[in-house]
Amino acid sequence: MTTDRIVSSHASRVYDSPLDMLPSEDNPTPMVRVRGALEASGPRLPGYELYAKLEWLNPFASVKDRAAAALIEDLEQRDKIGPGRSVVEPTSGNTGLSLALIAAAKGYGMRAVVPNKVPLAKKVLLKLAGAELDVLNDNLCPAPGLGDGSVNLAKTHARAQPDRYAMPNQYENRANVLAHERTTGPEIWRQTEGRITHLFASLGTAGTITGLGRYLKGKDPDIRIVCVVPDEGHDVPGLRTPSALASTELYDESVIDEVLEINHQRAYTGARDVIRKDALLAGPSSGLIFEGARTVLERDRPESGVGVMIFCDDAFKYIDNFITHLPELAEGLSPTE
Amino acid sequence: MSDFAHPEVLVSTDWVAERLDAPDFRLVEVDVDSQAYNAGHLPGAVGFNWQTQLQDQVTRDILSKEQFEALIGGAGIGRDDTVVLYGDNHNWFAAYAFWLFKIYGHERVLLMDGGRNKWLADESKPLTTDVPEVTPVAYTASEPDASLRARVTDVLRVVDDGTHNLVDVRSPDEFTGKVIAPPGMSETAQRGGHIPGARSIPWAKAVNEDSTFKPREELERIYTAEAGVDQSRDTIAYCRIGERSSHTWFVLKYLLGIENVRNYDGSWTEYGSMVGVPIEQGAPQPANA
Repeated sequence: MTTDRIVSSHASRVYDSPLDMLPSEDNPTPMVRVRGALEASGPRLPGYELYAKLEWLNPFASVKDRAAAALIEDLEQRDKIGPGRSVVEPTSGNTGLSLALIAAAKGYGMRAVVPNKVPLAKKVLLKLAGAELDVLNDNLCPAPGLGDGSVNLAKTHARAQPDRYAMPNQYENRANVLAHERTTGPEIWRQTEGRITHLFASLGTAGTITGLGRYLKGKDPDIRIVCVVPDEGHDVPGLRTPSALASTELYDESVIDEVLEINHQRAYTGARDVIRKDALLAGPSSGLIFEGARTVLERDRPESGVGVMIFCDDAFKYIDNFITHLPELAEGLSPTE
Repeated sequence: MSDFAHPEVLVSTDWVAERLDAPDFRLVEVDVDSQAYNAGHLPGAVGFNWQTQLQDQVTRDILSKEQFEALIGGAGIGRDDTVVLYGDNHNWFAAYAFWLFKIYGHERVLLMDGGRNKWLADESKPLTTDVPEVTPVAYTASEPDASLRARVTDVLRVVDDGTHNLVDVRSPDEFTGKVIAPPGMSETAQRGGHIPGARSIPWAKAVNEDSTFKPREELERIYTAEAGVDQSRDTIAYCRIGERSSHTWFVLKYLLGIENVRNYDGSWTEYGSMVGVPIEQGAPQPANA
């Protein structure tokens, strides 16, 4: 058994490191046709093809792998990170996990600053991935417009100990957007053979929608970029409403054709429908995006077209949320008397 | 610093930064807990944890004179030292510490406008994890100045009699009684609503996004023109547990120059649970009511 590095191959799907599995035009995440959940709801659109791009099949389990890899590469290029040094970032979920695992693969450290209200599973996963955690006390009167405590604490670590910590800052760092212009966008263009007419994505840092909007509009300005967002007071992890956009500098409204608000309950019913009818293990944000696509298609009834939905991650991390919104899932789980 | 009534108590982050190498003041950071200070603070600053160090841990009360002397003297701060306070959350807890310093008669107390948030926004401003060495000194405080603090008896005496401004700095939903406390807060009260006659001015209206205070003209508009605070009247500010209201106390007294302003630190967790006290619910009265 050789310990020398093997040559990674997309063809054989044999890799020397999970880092070599990161997505690109030559190694795109799969796109799968969605039919069942769509046809269940309304008139059929025989000329239209709707696809889900399965971002949970990235090596570190979410769409955030793309941004995380680009952010770390950016730190490397600016000589801010290296062996024995750590990435520090405010994150409550997927970005933290992707950063932690990529850091682990590269021999860097990771420190995640998370609000206390983040589900236990996410905190545990971060620790499992080797991250140090700062858990923020959110037992305080909320202050509207207050600088997000987790952003400030992460910034503090990086500023007070720059030899130890570097903060990529997913909300301000353009590498986040460029990742999608360089990977996700070209993948989609090639996978749809340039026939794409609609792109459906949501909004967290706005890296995905801005990057995809810029790339795809650059290829064909008629492609409709639809940003699907939850309503105020939602609990869909990872997503923001437009009113919270002040917290990200990456949003470029010039490349977005429509911002569509969907009630957050439909994130869970939509995910359930896609799981049951199309056998795709969609997480809540994917469910929301599906409901956005369904709404647009029912409204506009295109005779032809190709829609691509970004399915950010799968259902595994969100069991508690699913139970909250679909309580029937918790029934019949004990032996009957 | 705009034309605040008492501009001398507010210093800018630049002012502090220029003097870091040879400060003639003691820098004190006050945060809700020690997390922020431990991660990084201004060089030379000592840190106080608002939860564990700025309140009596057994009785619900401010620090006693003896406790205050032990805390401040233990941090190496002398009675004649100039103290510059700053902290997290728009200087929320730093303002509370300012109030406490004034209650115990410390003469030279300053607040760094913008606090941690403003300092952090400037990449050139240094932060350190080094904890300064302090030499404890004997600190003698004055007897507490009761004119800065309202007790519930003071409040009940003036409820709705038109002699005082009652300034409620909580969120609109707390003011109307739609919620008793912000969602997820454990310290609540038996009833929702506000003290009859109180004006609703959420505390954060006084600051910009970078946590610095808004200019005088804007504060006048917010507090007086829009909310009806009569600056010739004695004033009591309150919130849920008395920490947000000390921020507003600072604004009313030092920036707007209202002469007699008290912080009702018992606030709604006390008032809203008392048997038989008058409570009003619903939207605030218009400014000229």
